[in-house]
Amino acid sequence: MKKILFLLIPVFLLASCTIHKPLYSWNKYDIASYNYIKNNDEKSTQELIKNYEAIISKQNGTRKVIPPGIYADYGFVLLQSGKTEEGNAMLEKEIALYPESKIFIARIIKMQKK
Amino acid sequence: MKNTYYLLILTTIIFTSCSTTAPLKKSVAYKGMYDEKPTTILLMPPINRSTNVEAKEYFHSTLIVPLANQGYYVIPPFLSMEILKRESAYDAELFLNSTLSKFGEVFGADIVLFTIIHKWDKSYSMVKVEVEYILKSTKTNEVLYSRRGAINYNTSVSINAGGFGALAAFALTAVNTIGTKHVDVAKICNTYTFKDLPVGKYSPINTLEPDEFAGKKVFTVNLNSQYR
Repeated sequence: MKKILFLLIPVFLLASCTIHKPLYSWNKYDIASYNYIKNNDEKSTQELIKNYEAIISKQNGTRKVIPPGIYADYGFVLLQSGKTEEGNAMLEKEIALYPESKIFIARIIKMQKK
Repeated sequence: MKNTYYLLILTTIIFTSCSTTAPLKKSVAYKGMYDEKPTTILLMPPINRSTNVEAKEYFHSTLIVPLANQGYYVIPPFLSMEILKRESAYDAELFLNSTLSKFGEVFGADIVLFTIIHKWDKSYSMVKVEVEYILKSTKTNEVLYSRRGAINYNTSVSINAGGFGALAAFALTAVNTIGTKHVDVAKICNTYTFKDLPVGKYSPINTLEPDEFAGKKVFTVNLNSQYR
């Protein structure tokens, strides 16, 4: 019995060492978005889209929610490649998830529908 | 008489050495942040005063992550950049000292982030960056948060092991291609600096936070890729 207690102590000590987890997980967002800004070609666009999809399909952060701006920027990239309907649907998702984005995003959607 | 002089000089020296600023509590250093409780941030295109032409891009792509992770709503960076470009507002320098209410109206931003890259010098295994971050209110135009850091980033990866370790370290340095390496530098500058930013509305509430100490307003730090 005592042995178990001794075993438990280091477990507790180690548990308290865990670094606190961020709110969101971003996959390889920094590199993908840098390449997209810099090259703005088909390859970097596809890489960025893949990254957005990875962020949306799996969240390891503590909030378990898609991070701010992801749906909207994904929508923007889709709009840029002529996918108006899918792009606007993503923009709508941003508003639904983050109502504070409405002022800005609703205007963008309106611009598309003109 | 001579002794009095010595005494005077001595006290002056002691007092001078005391004037190095004592750390401030966040509630004092960032009072405006607690008063206004901003939730939504607009990222302005970084202002590049360094000689490195790409520094602007390194920073642009790395600002959203630390700010969102601190609990803020960050206005979608690509979409907002596009609109800023269309509205001829891409040069953030123009707005550094002007009223910001328009950014509140168009983007719904409570605060605007200006990033000024003062220096970006690289040598074989070092990148020396000097960067300033300024968060200004779109309601009052007041600076709510500002820090300026000189960050010396060591790009060589150190692995403490014999023969093979050294070889691995060499290979890693070679693999760290220029572009991605520099994105990493910018990312670490942002993460280090914003560590003391009061948290936004999506962060779990921490009632003790205002009593924590703010980081130095102007700082110098040595970092490497191990920093997270």
